[in-house]
Amino acid sequence: MTSTKWDPITLEVFRNLFYSVAEEMGVTLCRTSFSPNIKERRDYSCAIFDARGRMVAQGEHMPVHLGSMPKSVEAAIDAVTLEPGDVVMVNDPFRGGTHLPDITLVEAVFLDDATEPAFYVANRAHHSDVGGMTPGSMPLATSIYQEGIRIPPVRLVRRGVVVRDILDLVLANVRTPVEREGDITAQIASNRTGARRLLGLVERYGVQVVSEYMGHLQDYAERMTREAIRRIPDGEYRFEDAMDDDGQGHGPLPLVVTITVEDDEARIDFTGTCPQAAGSVNANYAITLSATMYCFRVIVPFAIPSNWGTIQPLDVVAPEGTLVNACAPAAMAGGNVETSQRIVDVVLGALSQALPDQIPAASYGTMSNLSIGGLDPRTGAEFAYYETTAGGMGARPYADGLDATHCHMTNSLNTPIEALEHAYPYRVNRYAIRRGSGGAGRFRGGDGIERELELLGESRVTILGDRRVTRPYGLSGGEPGAVGSNSIEYPDGSEEALSGKVSMDVPAGSIIKIHTPGGGGHGRA
Amino acid sequence: MALSNGSCMKATPRDSYVIVGVDTGGTFTDFVVLEGDRVRIHKTASTPDDPSRAVLTGLVELLGEPALAEAKVIHGSTVATNALLERKGARVALVTTAGFEDVIEIGRQARHDIYDLAVTKPDPLVPRELRFGVRERLDERGRVLTPLDPSAEGDTLAALEAAIASGVESVAICLLHSYANPEHERVVVDMLQSVAGAEGSFITASCDVLPEFREYERTSTTAVNAYVGPVMSRYLGALGERLDPGRVRIMASNGGAVSLAAASTGAVQTILSGPAGGAVGGFEIGRRAGTEQVITFDMGGTSTDVSLCAGGLTRTSEAEIGGLPIRVPVIDIHTVGAGGGSIASRDPGGSLRVGPESAGAHPGPICYGHGGSAVTVTDANLYLGRLSPEHFLGGTSQLDTTGVETAITTLAAELGLTAIELAEGVVRVANATMERAIRVISLERGHDPRDFSLVCFGGAGGLHAVDLSRSLGIPRVIVPEGAGTLSALGMLMAEPIRDFSRTLMLRTDGLDPQQLENAFESLEALGRAELIAEEFPEASLRFERVADLRYVGQGYEIGVPVSPEDTGLSAEMRNTVTGFADRLSSAFHEAHEHRYGYADERRATEIVTIRVRVIAAMQKPRIEPRPLGEPDAGAATIGPHTFVHRGESHAGELIDRDALRPGHAFQGPAVVVEYSTTTLVPPGTSCRVDEWGNLILEPA
Repeated sequence: MTSTKWDPITLEVFRNLFYSVAEEMGVTLCRTSFSPNIKERRDYSCAIFDARGRMVAQGEHMPVHLGSMPKSVEAAIDAVTLEPGDVVMVNDPFRGGTHLPDITLVEAVFLDDATEPAFYVANRAHHSDVGGMTPGSMPLATSIYQEGIRIPPVRLVRRGVVVRDILDLVLANVRTPVEREGDITAQIASNRTGARRLLGLVERYGVQVVSEYMGHLQDYAERMTREAIRRIPDGEYRFEDAMDDDGQGHGPLPLVVTITVEDDEARIDFTGTCPQAAGSVNANYAITLSATMYCFRVIVPFAIPSNWGTIQPLDVVAPEGTLVNACAPAAMAGGNVETSQRIVDVVLGALSQALPDQIPAASYGTMSNLSIGGLDPRTGAEFAYYETTAGGMGARPYADGLDATHCHMTNSLNTPIEALEHAYPYRVNRYAIRRGSGGAGRFRGGDGIERELELLGESRVTILGDRRVTRPYGLSGGEPGAVGSNSIEYPDGSEEALSGKVSMDVPAGSIIKIHTPGGGGHGRA
Repeated sequence: MALSNGSCMKATPRDSYVIVGVDTGGTFTDFVVLEGDRVRIHKTASTPDDPSRAVLTGLVELLGEPALAEAKVIHGSTVATNALLERKGARVALVTTAGFEDVIEIGRQARHDIYDLAVTKPDPLVPRELRFGVRERLDERGRVLTPLDPSAEGDTLAALEAAIASGVESVAICLLHSYANPEHERVVVDMLQSVAGAEGSFITASCDVLPEFREYERTSTTAVNAYVGPVMSRYLGALGERLDPGRVRIMASNGGAVSLAAASTGAVQTILSGPAGGAVGGFEIGRRAGTEQVITFDMGGTSTDVSLCAGGLTRTSEAEIGGLPIRVPVIDIHTVGAGGGSIASRDPGGSLRVGPESAGAHPGPICYGHGGSAVTVTDANLYLGRLSPEHFLGGTSQLDTTGVETAITTLAAELGLTAIELAEGVVRVANATMERAIRVISLERGHDPRDFSLVCFGGAGGLHAVDLSRSLGIPRVIVPEGAGTLSALGMLMAEPIRDFSRTLMLRTDGLDPQQLENAFESLEALGRAELIAEEFPEASLRFERVADLRYVGQGYEIGVPVSPEDTGLSAEMRNTVTGFADRLSSAFHEAHEHRYGYADERRATEIVTIRVRVIAAMQKPRIEPRPLGEPDAGAATIGPHTFVHRGESHAGELIDRDALRPGHAFQGPAVVVEYSTTTLVPPGTSCRVDEWGNLILEPA
């Protein structure tokens, strides 16, 4: 912990200031980007870091980036000696990334003629395509090499000038290079905004005060988290759930967690979880850390900054070579979006034993990732589309779960149908709440969604979904939520059920139907 | 109860009739009257159960019953806002494209707080059983894919008939892609004619309210209109019975004033009626004081509204009220939960929190003595000596200083601070929240606060304005005369304005200026027809055109002004197509650079939505400046007064605002008291009274 003196007032002032810097970075990124994932669905995060690369504040963007952004900054600092005006780019899950579509940009902030950075700023955004075996880069792969271009921490910008060689290499490996370049430019601008604002704070308060309060805020977040853990009765809590399969014919894939709470610290041990999978549902340690951090973050009853301090009271143990800490060259596309949700399910499930009045039943537990690509018959140009669909929220011990709402590790917005039909060769035929899919109980689980998409051109469709076999659990006697389903209706009217994870070429005029799971119920009905 | 304040501003005689700005607030209904050469301020207690009672009572008190029908009134009404926030609107049915009945309920799938397990979302304005799908479909260009066949919709019509029989009084219509082609929505409107009982219903079609893409936001806006419309109509009907409907206008959220008829059918336009008056008033105050670069700062009891004017009012089409998106243009007002009544507390991590919980009007701050026990911002200000107990609200209420002292000492001990440190801390933390709000509307939108003046109004603003301005580098604070009734004054200044928009989705490369010209002209024709129907002469109408552009593939647009000369010249123009498109694009690149720090001139741009604003020129009440007198403000000095600022006690003066005259000048430390607000002049700050009666505060 930092030892210098602080006062509770200045602390609160800086909490506001740092947070507004991170938020403003987000505004720049969101409003100038091109991927529907970023601009419409806000699948991005922005954060600021101290001189040691420890996170100080993150905008309230995507929970799944909570613990994994710091890993990117750590990797960037380890790999590259950053100079003023340098920006490092990274997406390699085994070198500080999460899955390949998430590209992170890290910039060091220097004061005047200083040789060491005073701060770092970083942002991460989910790009619609980074190459690989299927459009949208969320393939059913068996190795990272099939999933797209793998970028270790490299300088994208050197002394303020974009390194064209690197950018061209990346763009040559993706399906929609013009859109990619636009998004990367937006990410660079976002970091610039953050750097400028931090320097403004230094001008006003002096570097010493700004830096000290970064430390104080980390300490503060740590105290708050410890306080929340102290309220959990000491003890050992175990929970087990499973992923349906890995998309390569293996499943179910069990996840096991044992949480040991002692005073104001918790050890979260995933020993017992299955080995890493052949298919693309592997998570790395950063993802597991994010999901665990999220679970503890939601039990803190106050709005605290998400930063380095939050993680200190948590000891997250994820054995190497398992589904929650996979080693290269595992396929990783679904770890961030699918496995992360199941990690939340088991951690919250374990915590529900200790905090039965606080923890909800399982939510829909899958982002039902849909990727589509091909040639747009209207223009002849190549397109790559990616979107997730929400489901039902698990019932709370005091209220029904919300219908058709993104839960836990994601909070993306849907792409409006009217925007979608302008941008892609699709027609949405139905978009509705899937009535009755939430688990019954004293409090009802939220209902999922039904979405039907007609493809106007021949397309490659990839679905990466889960909870098509295992149901989102209920608690205290509540019923589990209904499983989701995928199907296709061919132009001739014949219909075929699809598995949760599928990749196929489909003829023009086919209709893809996605039904997302409901949330579990809470209490006996 | 009625409080009248005698003449304080002089106006030039011009109109034979009286103009009154009326602002309905939670506690008081404010009136600013321009009568010949006199400006009068009046307040009467609000009547929340039926706000029109206070409006009429106040007008009678001011003008006398016989003059009522003669009075020209511009009214800021909270009826629509409250109907929405309190969910006391009409029972609404929705007709939409079959298969999409749940769009209004699904929203955008996101939750508003990602770390709150108890998160809620607002109930849809139309319950599921009142949402009816019709079989029809347009594509994104407005081409018909499935024609709407009224004869096949018997079931829908029967269901609507049953709904109306069971008490539905309002019908919203929103079909997919109707912004590109309104025909199917028109067919639904016609179909409703054949429904028994529908003749009395309030009907809102999305193509009339908001012909813009994004189905959820359009449906939401349409449903809000349908929901608040009948309530607003009844309210305005009641007002119209006592007043001359032709002489009453309603303040709209876009800063303009609309006729009673327009406010009834398009009630959603009045959803930010009151705050809009404040922004218009603040801008006018700034303009009079010689600047069009103004940040308005309205700090009340539970919240603070800020807006920014850079040469004009800033509008946005991205407002959200009560958790529901409303996409009609409104003045861009950012609200944060920090006000005089915000409660201070220690959180488990040892940090001092202020708000968003508020003591509200009841019990209110501890010092009010109505049973409040939590330390509020107002209590902290009192403890620091920044309020004068004898002059607070005209000295009508006795302030409980002992209760405040006890509570502050207790909370300070919990945080390991002295009482003074705590009280100053409460103010600083509240300021930090308000600073964040101002950063959002300035820095985040590409404006440097150092180029602006802060116009401060609302009951609590004057105590915080100077410190706040310093932390943002704002060089000047203006506290207008009658700061407590600025919104009502703004209403006096509001011109008749109507906004029209339409989504086009046209790329600028290969753009046909004639097509764009036709689209603009058709919107202008709508505005012309409406305002001429309201008896504004054609010659008084002014048109402003804006095209919302973005890089092809982006999701957000920036508005670029388009001059009619750009699209209007037919033959000649067609020869310079590229010239026009290039001008439009380069204006966009420039705006993008300004706002986000970069532009990419190689990228293609597209026009997403075009907007037309029609303004009927109105002679604004011109209030004449008063001559500046001698600087000596001795006559206004009540006596010595001590307060704490930045940890030190300062012996200053207590000054009576009502006795200040143009030209008076003094230095802080001082506290200026008046009925509705108090202004803190910290050490190192100079204060002078300008020719309009404004206090101008600047670093000494």
